[in-house]
Amino acid sequence: MMWGGLLLGLAVYVLFGIVPMVGNIIISFTDYTGLPGQAVHNLGFANYTSIGSTQAPGFEQGIVATLVFVVAVTVGQNAFALLFAHKLKGSGKFAAVGRLLVFLPIALGVTVVGLIWILIFNPQEGPMASLFGLFGVHPGFFGADYWAMTLVILVQIWQNVGFSTLVFIGGLRAIDPALYEAAAMDGVGAWQRLRRITFPLLAPSVTVNVMLAVVGSFTTYNLIYVLTDGQYGTQTLGMLSYNVAFGSFEANLGYGAAVSVVLFVVTLVVAMPMLALLRRRERRLVG
Amino acid sequence: MKHPRLVSGIAIGVLIMLLFLLPVLYVVMMAFESPSHFLVSPMTPGSPDASNFSNAWNSADLGPELLNTVLYSVVAAALAVALGLLIAFPIARRLLRGHSLLYTFLFVGLFLPLSIIPMYAEARMLGMFNNRIGYTILHIEQPGLPGLPLAVVVLTASLASVPLELDEAAWMEGASYLAYLGRVIVPLTRPALLISFLYAMLGVWNDIIGPAVLLADPGLAPVTKGIYSFYGSNESQFTLLAAGVVIVSLPVVLLFIASQRQINRASLVGGIKA
Repeated sequence: MMWGGLLLGLAVYVLFGIVPMVGNIIISFTDYTGLPGQAVHNLGFANYTSIGSTQAPGFEQGIVATLVFVVAVTVGQNAFALLFAHKLKGSGKFAAVGRLLVFLPIALGVTVVGLIWILIFNPQEGPMASLFGLFGVHPGFFGADYWAMTLVILVQIWQNVGFSTLVFIGGLRAIDPALYEAAAMDGVGAWQRLRRITFPLLAPSVTVNVMLAVVGSFTTYNLIYVLTDGQYGTQTLGMLSYNVAFGSFEANLGYGAAVSVVLFVVTLVVAMPMLALLRRRERRLVG
Repeated sequence: MKHPRLVSGIAIGVLIMLLFLLPVLYVVMMAFESPSHFLVSPMTPGSPDASNFSNAWNSADLGPELLNTVLYSVVAAALAVALGLLIAFPIARRLLRGHSLLYTFLFVGLFLPLSIIPMYAEARMLGMFNNRIGYTILHIEQPGLPGLPLAVVVLTASLASVPLELDEAAWMEGASYLAYLGRVIVPLTRPALLISFLYAMLGVWNDIIGPAVLLADPGLAPVTKGIYSFYGSNESQFTLLAAGVVIVSLPVVLLFIASQRQINRASLVGGIKA
């Protein structure tokens, strides 16, 4: 009975969690269109060699958009999370309400979050249009180059900062309060306490949060899908992969899979050394 | 500057209100605006008008879509947690030789990227495309939506606090494995089960890429897809869209507030452990 249950659970995990990862690589070597009844051919590396060629545009721009998105989201999300965690770590009522509020966007989900910000930044009648109008500026917001990417980054941070905040709060609460008391008794100032105690002992939470933000912003595109569908310079590689597969009439799933395999490799190449670096920093600081 | 800590505390408090409460309140206000008043004066509330809600409810088919969403997310999350427990128990009790390797194999599942292209191919091959049962099964576990591995990780940690003596006592009494899990383990690990369930459920509830690709028939659409396509076809009816957004998010917000304590606690623990 027990082995049967274990095997059933593992079968579901392998079939729907692991097989797709392998399937993605296999599909990337084919001309699969996703339409039933159409023959699928082996193309070898053709999808990979056509990445970045003129027939399949969007890749170079996608790399740039992805890097901008990843760096800005990772830095912004962690900076805000640290700020919030520092003030919301307490056990009081206000701190509890604050935690509820910063976590709310995660419960609301990307579709509702996206539509909330589309309503607020709608260029005709939204409150932000009125506000900018006071200064004589009438931007297209999600429908304008540069504006769109800036806003997509901010909404992505808004959506996910609550989780990073909770991780930092966990890290802050794990620091022994006796350390602060002893330091205060020795006349160590607030800034020095932050630098010498909080910052080093928070290293494990920093590792978790930076890795989550990096991997998350590299690979997810569901919020971008809701906000701009990858238009106006917001087509990251994940969004590009989706759009070549499902967004047009061409339905080129093979090419889309190749793009997502490249994205996966890029993510690993960036994330793995980063993880090693952060781990080494942890050992140096925590000892 | 006598109380710098108090001043900065108030500043952050105000910042959080401005950033997280104001946008939500604005959309709620918008939902109660009559379209004509909103057109003239989008920044100030007019006399409250609830007609947007009934109009959005009727024209976006929100009722049947909410039912679809509840069906998909509750069933998929319940199955994810049940299967998660079936995997977690032998791992937590170290009943097989490769238990820590197996744990790592499942832990990796938390970090896999969204892979909708092979999911679509698999759905087509297994006859799971565009039908309710298939869509639900596909949402028990997906790369990028790791309901099942998260349940395993959370439950394995929680099972460590259930004494081994209980296992032995049940063994002596000759209780069947499933009866033991159901009568003894489930009540003792209820918080962990609840967290895993809520996490898995939120993932399915809020999914937008999955319904866009794996479902074609409008009658099968969950509420995320419904409200998104409603936005696509009514782009300039802002008050109507706002009412739709409020209707769609109300159940999640209520559930979220009701279970806030558990979510908070579990996330904190996860933060320390990870």
